[in-house]
Amino acid sequence: MSDQQTEFADFFQASWEPCLRTVVAVVGGPQLAEDQVAEAFAKAWALWPKVRRHPAPRAWVVRTALNTGASWWRRRGREVLLADHDLAAPGDLDSGLDSGLLTAIWRLPIRQREVIALRIFLDLDTATIARQLGIEAGTVRMHLSRGVSALRHELTPTRNMEAGR
Amino acid sequence: MNVHGEMSDADVLRAASRSLSALPMASPPDVQSIMARGRARRRRRLSAAAGLSAAAAAGTVLALGLTGILGPSPARSTATIRTASFTLVSNANGTATLTINATELLDAAALQNDLQQYGIPAMVTSGSFCSSVPPPAGFSQVVSFYPRPTGSRTLVPPGTHPTVTFSPSAMPAGTELSFGVFQLSSGGQQADFMLINSSSYTCSSTLPGPPPDGAQFQIVRPGS
Repeated sequence: MSDQQTEFADFFQASWEPCLRTVVAVVGGPQLAEDQVAEAFAKAWALWPKVRRHPAPRAWVVRTALNTGASWWRRRGREVLLADHDLAAPGDLDSGLDSGLLTAIWRLPIRQREVIALRIFLDLDTATIARQLGIEAGTVRMHLSRGVSALRHELTPTRNMEAGR
Repeated sequence: MNVHGEMSDADVLRAASRSLSALPMASPPDVQSIMARGRARRRRRLSAAAGLSAAAAAGTVLALGLTGILGPSPARSTATIRTASFTLVSNANGTATLTINATELLDAAALQNDLQQYGIPAMVTSGSFCSSVPPPAGFSQVVSFYPRPTGSRTLVPPGTHPTVTFSPSAMPAGTELSFGVFQLSSGGQQADFMLINSSSYTCSSTLPGPPPDGAQFQIVRPGS
């Protein structure tokens, strides 16, 4: 392997899972997310001299993966988003998987999902997320705040029931 | 928790991260197949750029002439065969990776000939599919796909260039790979794969159901 091939292979091995988890968090369907991420990595290799100099190459891959599938997802919308995913049985809670919380994440507006996923899995700061999504930093903070509020509501059912009495 | 007994933002994000991280994820595909797809993409882009440059320099008449040169005629090198509808790359480990350009109808005769050049006995058909009953064992050792097959039929979204990696050394003696391509009424394409016995098989022009020991892909046409 050439130096560039080795460098890309290392980047690919280290970045596949966080990029895939980010895209799954946004689009829901893991199978199609895998295809989108694989295609994005192929594009990254085709443009590697440029992508390797990008300030956040993983974010470039995620943005490309989301763009690749955007029109397809838009046409199928929420129907595929939720139906394509095998939600966990209650017994999976031991593994940390909370199907109610996952459903709540995938019901958030897409911008809120993107901002939360980029923060969680790529550990991007507000300014970098803003650059990647082409929006203002203040808008990122607003989406993050609203998304977190919605998820907090899902995570505190007892308190919500008491408030509803 | 904050002073109001609510989860903090960081706690909420940690819970979301924990839940999303618990979802099972597939292990990464072979980086060689990803790089082969990237190379195919780069070549297509360079070909398109070359075509545009030539057209700009020489005018529309010459551009029409170039279509015949850059289109169906394969541009060959020692390791790569490229046509308008597919790219076939010979990998260092003895495998070969086929990348399908789903926007073009596959040139079955050219692909069959090119696979044979790479030591892969294959029967590539357009509008028909050949099968053996029972099929020879070993299909999963001979070919691997991206996207990976899901169930009996795998849907390939527009914009995805499916790849097939062949391991000719794993082919059982006396077998060939059957690869049938059908144009669907929706505008997409269906591709079927299975191993067949070279001396015992039948071919049919009926659109097949998912092969019993093989793989079926339906490539969705953009806008469908």
